[in-house]
Amino acid sequence: MGFKFQRVRDPLHNLIEFPGDEFHHAMWEVIQTHEFQRLRRVKQLGFSELVYPGATHTRFAHSVGVFHTARKLMDVVKKRLGDTAYQETKAQRALAAALVHDLGHGPYSHAFEDVGKRLRLPMADHEKVTDQLVREGDVSAALNRLGSGFATDVADVIKKAGSATIYGAVVSSQFDADRLDYVQRDRLMTGTHHGAIDFNWLLSNLEVGEVSYGVDGEAVGKIETFVLGPKALHAAEAYLLGLFQLYATVYLHKATRGAEKLFTELLTKLIELAKDGSVAKTGLSNSHPLVQFAKHPEKLDNALVLDDSVVGGALSMMVQAKDPSIADLSKRLRDRRLFKCIDVGECLSQMLKERQFERNDFDGACIAVEQRLVDWCQQNPKDIPRILIDNPERSIYKTMSEESKGPLDQIMMKPGTGNGEPFDVALVSQVVKAIKPFKAFRVYYEEGDQKAKIAIEQAINKEVETCRN
Amino acid sequence: MQELSRFKSDAEKAAGIVLDAGGEVVGRTRLQKMAYLLEIAGLGSDFVFEYRHYGPYSEELAVGVANANLQNLISQEDRLANWGGSYSIFKVVDAKAKANVEPSRRQMLELTVKANPVALELAATAAYLAIEGDSSPWVETQRRKPEKAEKFLDSAKVLYQHLRSIATPTPLPEIQN
Repeated sequence: MGFKFQRVRDPLHNLIEFPGDEFHHAMWEVIQTHEFQRLRRVKQLGFSELVYPGATHTRFAHSVGVFHTARKLMDVVKKRLGDTAYQETKAQRALAAALVHDLGHGPYSHAFEDVGKRLRLPMADHEKVTDQLVREGDVSAALNRLGSGFATDVADVIKKAGSATIYGAVVSSQFDADRLDYVQRDRLMTGTHHGAIDFNWLLSNLEVGEVSYGVDGEAVGKIETFVLGPKALHAAEAYLLGLFQLYATVYLHKATRGAEKLFTELLTKLIELAKDGSVAKTGLSNSHPLVQFAKHPEKLDNALVLDDSVVGGALSMMVQAKDPSIADLSKRLRDRRLFKCIDVGECLSQMLKERQFERNDFDGACIAVEQRLVDWCQQNPKDIPRILIDNPERSIYKTMSEESKGPLDQIMMKPGTGNGEPFDVALVSQVVKAIKPFKAFRVYYEEGDQKAKIAIEQAINKEVETCRN
Repeated sequence: MQELSRFKSDAEKAAGIVLDAGGEVVGRTRLQKMAYLLEIAGLGSDFVFEYRHYGPYSEELAVGVANANLQNLISQEDRLANWGGSYSIFKVVDAKAKANVEPSRRQMLELTVKANPVALELAATAAYLAIEGDSSPWVETQRRKPEKAEKFLDSAKVLYQHLRSIATPTPLPEIQN
């Protein structure tokens, strides 16, 4: 039986088509579930729109884009393995996993997860929520149209349970569909001109190969993954550099992170008050989804009614809160009146540039400043800390070791001649070898809080003095 | 309230595990699993763990290790593994430092510091699954990590039994074979 042919117009990929076959019909049905439709109300980049006004694209658009990209990667797998070795069922599981991999994201995605980590809220962990949604409920039912147990298999692909295969690499690897979509989509929607990648060239040079892996010093075996042909070396470098630049200019932008810090403080305070029976001080009614989540954070349904629009809409109500911290933080987020930022890392490197610091010395100086600020905050307590500290660090690429997320997280190059084993791109690329983790150390304070500002400046100056001596 | 003394305390706690384990730990995966097993036995340092590719993993511990290295509490030496990747060896810098460790923690660390790292990963994974409420943790561990389980599941079970036989403040969960 044929099904209706469906199409989605996408700003990045143009037409994304869902042909009228059983598999694509099931995927279309997944998209129609309320769990998937909720992703229309979760922005892909959270507070980034405060810096890049165009960055209002959603997890919904991204998820459909990941599905489309996964199909392109799967075409590579099919071409490389040949019709006999290619396994359609495994491919379909991976494609479905690509579509639903982000289902569990909460409002403002990663900022919400920070609140969850701080307060140990299981339903703020998007991986846990995604797993549950894929295994149970409407999404599961839609997936199981393709056979009983299909939803469980899809959840296992996302969880990386079972043998690592080339099909799984489409969903989870250095060249997975998720990353290949967001690198391009986030660049397009923010309007930044950093971070361009040569997607078609990368795709055209992708092959399937086997790589060894182990635990600490112990070898375990070999697994199949994507490897790049030798002509794609520079495209691989540009890909990693592009990621690095997006982290520096978009994902970890100081204003975005500043808004996330305020959001984390606001939600933490709100949840604590609601749990303490002080809902009346929050500006929200007892039946508000945020209050319900605060009271029963272990319930999946309470997490699923939260999205960016629920939180954004609550800000105007919380502005009226009796609790002064809730009222102030809500107003700040609503009106984009963020705390002032001092980039301590930048200050230290400017003030100490004549010292030509080794990396470890520089990191040590940052820790010393942080410790001073921590002590100052302890001596000058306030409901919301007077100095909010942010020291994000993201490794764009790690050579294969126990630090990496596993063998699929490497970019492996195929030898130009002979039949040797694929090797890590970092072994031949000086560019990749030189990419260090992106690190920042910034502090935020209320614009009128001169004492906090002075404390920050003194902490920096004291450390500079120590280093110079 | 933000975590005020995260750097200092996590670094000291991470270095403390290395010290109590005899001053040297080979492998970051091993260190993570040692810390996890201590944690669930009630002998830990209050690190928070989540499930990652190699089983239970604590980002706080990973940062603590890096900062312990920066603060010169431990040293880190990276070596090439025979399978093509690399691994790290952590050593306490202060050669005169003496561990003042309670017997059950010492026993746990003695067993885990010399265990096969893959078997240790499997044992810690099964324990994590048991605590998460999985009804057949060994079966689930085998399902999640089939290649590792094929070679090392039996030794992981033996290792876990030895660990369970240690009288710890919180008994490790019983896992049926």
